[in-house]
Amino acid sequence: MAERAQATTQDDGVNPLGEAVRVYGSVGVFTRSNLALIWLALFLTIWFLNPIKALPLPQEVLRAIAKLWRNSQPGQGLAYNVYVTLKLNVVGVGYASIISIIVAYLSVIPVFQPFNKMVQWLRYIPIVGFNLVFLSLFSIGWPMKVAMLTTGMSFFLVTSMSGVVACIPRMKYELAKVLGYNDWHVFYSVVVRPTLPQMIDMIAQNAAIGWVMITAIETYNRTEGGIGSQIYAYSATNNLAEVYGYLLIIGVIAVLEDLFFSLMKRLLFPYSLIAERA
Amino acid sequence: MTQDDECLPGPIEKLESNGTILQVENISKAFPMNDGSSFLALKNFSLTIHDIKHKPQIVSLLGPSGAGKTTALRIIAALDKPSSGCVTITNGVAHQMRPVRVGDVGVVFQRYPLFEDLNVLKNLTEPAVRAGMDGKAALEKALRYLDEFDLVKQGVAWPVQLSGGQRQRVAILQQLMRERHFIILDEPFSGLDPVNINNVINLISQVANQHTLNTFLIITHDVTSALIISDHVYLLGRDRDEKGAPIPGARVMKEYDLVAEGLAYRPDIEDIPRFAEIRKEIKMVEFPKL
Repeated sequence: MAERAQATTQDDGVNPLGEAVRVYGSVGVFTRSNLALIWLALFLTIWFLNPIKALPLPQEVLRAIAKLWRNSQPGQGLAYNVYVTLKLNVVGVGYASIISIIVAYLSVIPVFQPFNKMVQWLRYIPIVGFNLVFLSLFSIGWPMKVAMLTTGMSFFLVTSMSGVVACIPRMKYELAKVLGYNDWHVFYSVVVRPTLPQMIDMIAQNAAIGWVMITAIETYNRTEGGIGSQIYAYSATNNLAEVYGYLLIIGVIAVLEDLFFSLMKRLLFPYSLIAERA
Repeated sequence: MTQDDECLPGPIEKLESNGTILQVENISKAFPMNDGSSFLALKNFSLTIHDIKHKPQIVSLLGPSGAGKTTALRIIAALDKPSSGCVTITNGVAHQMRPVRVGDVGVVFQRYPLFEDLNVLKNLTEPAVRAGMDGKAALEKALRYLDEFDLVKQGVAWPVQLSGGQRQRVAILQQLMRERHFIILDEPFSGLDPVNINNVINLISQVANQHTLNTFLIITHDVTSALIISDHVYLLGRDRDEKGAPIPGARVMKEYDLVAEGLAYRPDIEDIPRFAEIRKEIKMVEFPKL
């Protein structure tokens, strides 16, 4: 009891500001929240002061968002364009994740390893360079956009996911072998099942690449609208407040996406969070 | 277990063998080096483990660091193939031996790897079910083990939440869940304080005594612990040239039959003068030569 009291006193004596600037400093939830607020305030201050004159002011961006929200012309409204892009993002990320996870897991079988490497090398090639190939395989519009996004994201996702598979300790494989597991049991128990939480991390990280690609893909396929086509159109007419309004919305969606993936990991694989904390 | 198989308490007078459990014959193992040459880790490495009547077998392979103990372990467990020689294991029928296959021999690796995505209970039941055991029977056996080895509270814990000692116990029990009797423990005393070494010795004895066919091969450099727990101790080491430099290729340099010495299965072994003599001999005379 006395030891606990002493420990509490010592904890109370910790200077949160001092800890905040130490390597691996230990800060509580309160200090962490305050630090986040300080950074947000700093960001907003710089934006309001606007040292880079090319940036529209926050109030101009917010006004532009409100205007876009009220726009009821077909294919022009904020809600419609966000919906089109978000749908493309969800479908593209979904397809890319399924394809990539299969290619990555198959990398433990030697016959598939050269294919896996080739897919990884393709990430250096800009996807829009294959525009004509996609055009000849898919009809213009939604199918072509989904195909381009899926393919482009898969090149990056396969690279990240194959990295996770490559990092599986050999000892885990040997543990399964000495326990008498056959190849399929090893594949499932050593390769697939334990790496699923890390695969969610990889999808979350690469979803950001998806947003970069979406804007490029929607610029090439503007028939259905979407955030990319809107950014292109407003940039061409020098309406920067609208452009940054859409960028701000992408930022908000990205934060929500991150929270969604984090929640999924917490719900589906609780042990992974315990392991991370340990 | 029949009456004849029953594990008897206390020391035994002499070794009554039911035959050979495992035979390692003239194993050599060379590894390719970066400069194109090869490094000979083992050369003419041989040992035999007999089934001792009414007792489990606990054999130690003792040697200094770098002597080739881990290479020997990997070959005995069929995780690596030898460059020459063979390892044979009994197929359960007296005097019938066959080449060892991966999975025949359980291994408790040094850092006690477990399936981190399964809780403790599932870490025990999954290997048994994969080996063909009925799910209900596997669960009952796992719960019995958890109870016997003071791990009931840890049943639903994730491996990352276990202490080092708990992890070691789960790793051993995991190997026991399959109906196998031959288990290798890689450096089970490494990095432990005297109290915990004693706990591990007791744990191994407790597990081993569950079945007379249980055979533990302990890979260690801890002379005292090896002598306390074992019925046979093999010293693994390398010959020296005339300048005293080690010649590549480790082999069994000496064998101590602690049953014949009257030291095996003795709880009071540390009080027996012969124990101190052998320990001194290994530490002061044999180890420096290895």
